[in-house]
Amino acid sequence: MSPVLRRLSRRHFARHPWQALLAVLGVGLGVAVVVSIDLANASALRAFSLSSEAVAGRATHRIVGGPAGVPEELYTRLRVENGVRPSAPVVAGYVGLRDRPGRTLQLLGVDPFAEEGFRSYLERGTGALDLEQLLIEPDTVWMSPGTAASLGLEPGAELILELAGLPREVRLGGLLEVHDLRRESLNDLVVADISTAQELLGFTGRLTRIELILESGRADAELRELAALLPSGVTVERAGAAGAAGEKMTGAFRTNLQALSLLAVLCGAFLIYNTVTFAVVQRRRLFGTLRALGVTRRELFGLILGEALLIGIVGAALGLAGGIFLARGLVAQVTRTINDLYFAVAVQSLALDPLVLAKGALLAVGASLLAALAPAAEATSTSARSALDRAELESRTHRAVPKASAAGVGLLAIGAVLLLVPGVGLAASFVGLFLLLLGFALLTPAATMALIALLTPLAGLVFGQLGRIGGRGVVAALSRTAVAISALMIAVSVIVGVDVMVRSFRGTVESWLQYSLPADLYLSSGSAPTGALDGVRPGFDAAFVERLSAIDGIAAMSTLRQTTARSGADQTRLIAVDLDAESFDSFAFKAGESAAIWPRFDRGEAVIVSEPYASRTGLGPGDEITLGTPFGERAWPVAGVYYDYASELGAVTMARRQYVEIWNDDSVTAISIRAAPGADVDALTDEIRAAGGERRLLIRSNQAIRAESLRVFDRTFLITGTLRLLATLVAFVGVLSALMALQFERSRELGVLRAQGLTPGQLWGLVTSQTGLMGLTAGLLALPVGIATAAVMIYVINRRSFGWTLEMELSPEPLLSALAVAIGAALIAGLYPAYRMARTPPAEALRSE
Amino acid sequence: MKALGHLTLALALAAALVGCGERDAAPPAGGLAVADMLGSLDSTGFQRAVDPRDFRFPEDHGPHEGFRTEWWYYTGNLTEPSGRRFGYQLTFFKNLLAADATERASDWGADQVFMAHFAVTDAGRERFFAFERFARRALGLAGAEGSPFRVWLEDWSATASPGGGMRLRAADQGVELDLVLDPGKPPVLQGDAGLSRKGSGEGNASYYYSQTRMPTRGRITIGEESFEVDGASWMDREWSTSVLEEGQIGWDWFSLQLADDRELMVYVIRRDDGSADPNSAGTLVGAGGDYRRLSRDDWRLEATGSWTSPESGARYPAGWKLSVPAAELELEIEPLLAGQELRHTFSYWEGAVEVSGASRGEPIDGRGYVELTGYQDSGS
Repeated sequence: MSPVLRRLSRRHFARHPWQALLAVLGVGLGVAVVVSIDLANASALRAFSLSSEAVAGRATHRIVGGPAGVPEELYTRLRVENGVRPSAPVVAGYVGLRDRPGRTLQLLGVDPFAEEGFRSYLERGTGALDLEQLLIEPDTVWMSPGTAASLGLEPGAELILELAGLPREVRLGGLLEVHDLRRESLNDLVVADISTAQELLGFTGRLTRIELILESGRADAELRELAALLPSGVTVERAGAAGAAGEKMTGAFRTNLQALSLLAVLCGAFLIYNTVTFAVVQRRRLFGTLRALGVTRRELFGLILGEALLIGIVGAALGLAGGIFLARGLVAQVTRTINDLYFAVAVQSLALDPLVLAKGALLAVGASLLAALAPAAEATSTSARSALDRAELESRTHRAVPKASAAGVGLLAIGAVLLLVPGVGLAASFVGLFLLLLGFALLTPAATMALIALLTPLAGLVFGQLGRIGGRGVVAALSRTAVAISALMIAVSVIVGVDVMVRSFRGTVESWLQYSLPADLYLSSGSAPTGALDGVRPGFDAAFVERLSAIDGIAAMSTLRQTTARSGADQTRLIAVDLDAESFDSFAFKAGESAAIWPRFDRGEAVIVSEPYASRTGLGPGDEITLGTPFGERAWPVAGVYYDYASELGAVTMARRQYVEIWNDDSVTAISIRAAPGADVDALTDEIRAAGGERRLLIRSNQAIRAESLRVFDRTFLITGTLRLLATLVAFVGVLSALMALQFERSRELGVLRAQGLTPGQLWGLVTSQTGLMGLTAGLLALPVGIATAAVMIYVINRRSFGWTLEMELSPEPLLSALAVAIGAALIAGLYPAYRMARTPPAEALRSE
Repeated sequence: MKALGHLTLALALAAALVGCGERDAAPPAGGLAVADMLGSLDSTGFQRAVDPRDFRFPEDHGPHEGFRTEWWYYTGNLTEPSGRRFGYQLTFFKNLLAADATERASDWGADQVFMAHFAVTDAGRERFFAFERFARRALGLAGAEGSPFRVWLEDWSATASPGGGMRLRAADQGVELDLVLDPGKPPVLQGDAGLSRKGSGEGNASYYYSQTRMPTRGRITIGEESFEVDGASWMDREWSTSVLEEGQIGWDWFSLQLADDRELMVYVIRRDDGSADPNSAGTLVGAGGDYRRLSRDDWRLEATGSWTSPESGARYPAGWKLSVPAAELELEIEPLLAGQELRHTFSYWEGAVEVSGASRGEPIDGRGYVELTGYQDSGS
């Protein structure tokens, strides 16, 4: 590019600094959103893998049993008779803290003598581990310095753990030294000798798993040999399976976040396109002149792309910095959600993945260049003469409207196919949604023309002649206004879509909570995260349940045991409930009558599965589910699919009697209690507490559980709210830059009007009516598009990622607030140009070109 | 002096288990310094070796409860039909962590820890393999039993075999040992009828007996290769509670099996001033199984060479002249292989040696094992 051309370009942006600024800001914001979500996701995932790596160590395989674990004699047999090494016995589970209700620690019980090769921080020779103390002193635990500090503990201090509410005093024996792991990967992890872990978790005689390190070359042969040594109900699985399950579990959640961030990019891309288009069309005359003076198309093309590149680079730098800043806030939200739903992840620091950053930078530069391509091609392909003619551009734009609309309809059709054809994956669903939005964006010019034709008389009524001028101006300058309106429309529709989806979701969960919690009081043994598939969940013992049932004020009581069983290669959440026919009614079945399902369920002849489980596995009524039991594989027919929003992993539920018979495990993780008619619930609560003795019971009313569940729900969607805010911001900057550019470009036209006697006040009215109209147009168009987006998210994306049935709930608030955002943004965007125009003497305005 | 060797090993084990006291750092790769651990253990509540006792066999091959440490120590020189030479060491240490047992709900609760060392010297290929294991005495993972005799740590074991012998089995990383040991000569009660003084302090002693020449045959496998071997082993058995005394830094221990069917055991306890402790002692076993104690003055030992471990940096003596004037023995002792150093929780040299020299002026040869401890800080 010649220095002259470069100077021209520099001069243009020097005269319109806000234009350059807004362009850069637009690119930066879009990229910031993507980068921050990506970083937060990557960090959360890394947090998960760090935590699970720290616990899982370097094991390649693990021997696991069902809910009852693995008999410990098996370990002795493998080591003494079969020389299976390296192998490490593990007893792991979850414990609470008396002084910190709600905080869960992972308890890892190991034999330090078997740790060589597995967990570096537990190998012998790690100076801090006092093995003698570990072996001969019961109730001694170790933790990382970070965990100890967060609990205010020094080595030697006592702390009180809670196991199903029962206090257990333990001593902090020492601090774990971490050499080759990140320090925080041991956060919220408590290590004890395997004997202490068995005693604390009530898991004597059993192991959670036996870990193995098999040489990759000989693994298959060794696995075959090993399989012959295992009792029935005990199997070997790849150690990665737990990690992979975790990734799978959170996969849908993370994909959704990523898709939302891509929606923000879509808005950002529109913004970039808008800005670059504007910078080009604004200088059409200049470019025409240059062409007439002999500047080649190539040079001009290079000039425009060079500008876009520069905007992209500066925007990328801004976006990366902003993204990292935002991610710091988001990562806590993401890990929090993963914590709430899946497992205790303690790592919350941000990992600056260079790949994510590179992706963000590429996105900024790429999107800028791509966005500049069309305007650059347009500006250079037209003849020098016609480039000088503005009217030519506008009429060309108008001629292009039907073509754009046709393309839009085409995209809508492809999108609809992707969304409606069953069996299409999650990623394809998002592509479908994107195509839908792009299609709607392409339809926007036509819709704008139609809508403005309708609205102009209305504007005339409100603003008089000026209103009509404003309306006609929008259509006349369609080459500029259409892009701005599309950008605003897309941004607002995303806001509407997300808003409606979240509200519908919440409404569905709320009404489910209403009917699914029929009892008065609920007791939970607490501690383990709902989605955790691994480790011992301390439960209530039979004696306690017995004591409870003797209390007079209790009309009915049912117990629940949540555990994990193997189904094929998958770990499945298994729930055993002890219900009467009346309580069974609290299950709402997707298909089938609860009265018809009940007898088979009660007799243990059939199981029921939750909706997400059914949609994840494709199993339904009439199919059979195979579970690994101590007696080998056993199959149960599925009697029904019930609605359940507690876990996206889904669960298999069976009658307690059947469960106890097969797994010989009578512990209970939750109890629900119906008070006798007329009983005083507060007095009843006191009696229950008394029955618990020193056990601290988590007794909650159904309202409290409902409130708590909704609180978790809201926390889960907090990040969605953050994203919505960011999308709004992007939209706002977009419309601001578009409208400001538009109004400044009209300086001359406005100067003429001023010269003809338009007062500054009338000028305000004109500008305001025009921007207001554009905002209104974008807002109105965004409503149906937003609702369509919500419908896609509710009926397609949610089903494909989580398998939940949600009731779409349309309330006026999200629609009205979206409209207000659109109009508000438009009006604010008009303020500064109106102010400038009103203050500029007409003569100067006329001279400005 | 195998006794002391074992004692120190056990001490080091105990020290490792006690977590190196207040020291922050992990023990250096070179291992623990024996002398640092002295005096750190409290003997209250433990049994002590104070008075001579009656030994009964085979019962005493089994464990003796209440003592802090007890070990079963097997070494031997073996030959393959082609003449290829091998040495082996298989040792089980039992360590009692607390004098009073705690009642535990979990079967994993334990107050005893077993440690075992397993080493094979392949002189033909100049290779040395050494392994270490630990396990608690719980769930049958490790333990010791009197009748029938059995001591084991997972799949390493020494068990009674028919005819009053013992079978040794151990395998790790492709190195395997499977031997049958005949009793050979009757047990030799070391020291004062089995009470072996280690220091001048009250109770600083152990119960100590040896089986000095156990005809041995079996198989050694290294990777894909398997060797039929035979030769002779030496078993040392010792149990005690007491510890080394102030100023004792290590020892050199020799167990030699001479071609004329006699065996010679001597040990030197080295003091920090370079002198030999007066409690250094030995035993000469006759061809018929009769034996006599040797006091510090009955023999002279002189190192003729040295070897510095490239891994630990420790500088060990290598090659000795040993003379027992009373028996008119003049012996030269050379390591079968220089690098027979075990580097695990602590470092020491324990290896097969070749013996040559003269008995009453007639040429004589033999084989043996030598143990050298307390040399960690001897290098550089």
